[in-house]
Amino acid sequence: LLTTMPSYKLSYFPGRGLGEVSRQLFHLSDTPFEDHRVPMDEWPAYKDSTPFGQMPVLFVDGKPLPQSFAIARFLADQFGFAGKTPFEAAWVDALADQYKDYFAEIRPFLFVVFGFGEGDKEKLKKKVAEPAINKFFGILEKRAKDNGSNGHLVGNSLTWIDLQVSDHIGVLELYLPNAISAYPLVNEIRKKTTTDPKLKEWLDKRPVTPF
Amino acid sequence: MPLYKLSYFEERGLGEVSRQLFHLSGTPFWDNRIPFDHWPRIKEYTPFGQVPILCVDGEELPQSFAIARYLANQFGFAGKSAFESAWVDALADQHKDYLNEIKPFLMVANGFAEGDKEKMMNEMAKPSIRKYFTILEKQAKDNGSNGYFVGNSITWIDLVVSDHMGVIETLVPNAFDGFPLVEAVRQKITSEPKLKEWIEKRPET
Repeated sequence: LLTTMPSYKLSYFPGRGLGEVSRQLFHLSDTPFEDHRVPMDEWPAYKDSTPFGQMPVLFVDGKPLPQSFAIARFLADQFGFAGKTPFEAAWVDALADQYKDYFAEIRPFLFVVFGFGEGDKEKLKKKVAEPAINKFFGILEKRAKDNGSNGHLVGNSLTWIDLQVSDHIGVLELYLPNAISAYPLVNEIRKKTTTDPKLKEWLDKRPVTPF
Repeated sequence: MPLYKLSYFEERGLGEVSRQLFHLSGTPFWDNRIPFDHWPRIKEYTPFGQVPILCVDGEELPQSFAIARYLANQFGFAGKSAFESAWVDALADQHKDYLNEIKPFLMVANGFAEGDKEKMMNEMAKPSIRKYFTILEKQAKDNGSNGYFVGNSITWIDLVVSDHMGVIETLVPNAFDGFPLVEAVRQKITSEPKLKEWIEKRPET
């Protein structure tokens, strides 16, 4: 069955942030796409043309799709990184939702360490970051074990939640060295994910950005 | 057909949309309602220490939206194409972002936290509602003003929004003034016979 591949464009800021997992899915699957990076000073003019006034936005044959996780899930489905069964795909989704809940909890700490606002870093680290990390990474460690300690969070191949968690650990370690030292199985997943040859190729050559 | 069990508290909350998907599709399921005072004892036995949990032939799945999406996919309420499904997901994510914004207000309004309810309603809830419902109104219009947010049949985002409107209108007067197309979606969804039947007979909580 011959199908023509759609044309893809991903619009996001010139940083990793909420666009990185989707970029990784394109590189992992060798799918050509326009990696459209909108500089901060051009964003106000571009904003109104986006469905929700936010980025990332994925364009599939010119049709827009907003929201980073909806985009990642769509691409993962297209390219085979969303689990091998509907139930596996649902577990990837459940972990992604848990990640979102965790991110909402740790956001006040990240906001300050990223330099977006003032705050007591030490206090936020103890009261906000550490409890959030312990709760979420405890769940991930158990999940990794229940999944057979095979270097993946769901099933026996790479899924987009492996990418999301691995990317986030990289961010966390910039501000909290040894952030996941108590979670060896999660660290195994990060190592296995980031040494995937196609992904490593992208990670080695991608633009270096603060976020 | 797999054996389904949905475990959640004795309220609508995060379990209601999934219950609705079972009723809409005529799929039998065990509607396992957990009394609050049982919860502390069983919490540690759940995958994420939270409910709702869906059990499919004994295998557990947590997280309300992952459950709803899974059931919607099984029963045909997740859009008719991969791109439509992705748009349902995008709206659901936007709904979550909005819920996070108004959560402090909801906590106070529902008596779970201290605060100035009136002030929070005017300074936090109303602007967030306006911002999110403006997106929904435009989506309903761009989708052809046909009574659905995505495509031309019920999807689980129609259920999420309709249920949520029922919660908000008890707390914020005239919350949906200026959003007639969103109201039209809610009207259409809640008058769908199978859903209407469930809404009329479900426990009052």
